Amino acid sequence: EDETKEEEGPFEQLTVFHDADNFNVKHPLMNKWTLWFTKPPSGKGGNDWSDLLKEVVTFDSVEEFWGIYNNITKTSELPPKSDYHLFKQGVRPEWEDTQNKNGGKWAYQFKEKRNVQIDELWLHVMLAAIGETLESDDAKEVMGVVVNVRKAFYRIGVWTRTMGKGAGKNEALMEIGKRFKEVLKLKERDMVEFSGHTDSAHSGSTRAKAKYTV
Amino acid sequence: LQIKTTEPALPSAQLTALRSARPLENLKSLAYPEGIQSPNPALNPMANATKFKYDKEFLMQFQNVFTEKPSLDWDQRMKETVGDTESARPSTAR
Repeated sequence: EDETKEEEGPFEQLTVFHDADNFNVKHPLMNKWTLWFTKPPSGKGGNDWSDLLKEVVTFDSVEEFWGIYNNITKTSELPPKSDYHLFKQGVRPEWEDTQNKNGGKWAYQFKEKRNVQIDELWLHVMLAAIGETLESDDAKEVMGVVVNVRKAFYRIGVWTRTMGKGAGKNEALMEIGKRFKEVLKLKERDMVEFSGHTDSAHSGSTRAKAKYTV
Repeated sequence: LQIKTTEPALPSAQLTALRSARPLENLKSLAYPEGIQSPNPALNPMANATKFKYDKEFLMQFQNVFTEKPSLDWDQRMKETVGDTESARPSTAR
């Protein structure tokens, strides 16, 4: 039964756990991911959104993720009006991106900042994204995840490709909401909310809002 | 034996290994060292898969194992994107 090792030939797969400085295989991710950062406005002009939104790094292995995470500012140390966005490569973390225009986001706002383990929560959401456990196999809905640092709260969100309209689509979207809520370890009564990007963009309009809660 | 180089132009042994490492192709043929938990097999039911899903417990095991900066220009890149983190750090005493 254990013939596979012989078929591998002389190549011995050594992971970072076998030898941290001498490994020869890394753990590939299903997608390439790009980390973005939104700088807070400086108050001196030059504060277009496009100037403030910076592409930090793109990666596609578990090892690279940890190299980045272990050497980047923690969310709890960021000033207000900062965001981290972790999106699939090729998708800008903006609702104006054509790939996001029909989509929306699941989000939860943490209001008591001092009592929130934001670094751990954001890490777990990123791990669920890159480990591909936020959605079931064929959903292909998740575009990225985001954490917003604001004066009075933190907010974590999951962006989806669609607003879950149509057969099977709604189930896929609700499943993401449920898994997201589990990752955040929220109590049953704490609701995560879904809203469509266009509804947020035109808030105040009379159109019906696509809004769900889990 | 020089364990930690201070030369910024030289990649660490860990970064060198990362650069030449090839993507793992067959999760099932891999034996992790004792004490390391494999990815949850229920997440990767296809025997011929070459890309994998990973559970949080598996991923967390890397946290203290891969710690090097992921590129030689990392500090510069941080300065240009996330910014000066020292000045961004809020005072802890309130």
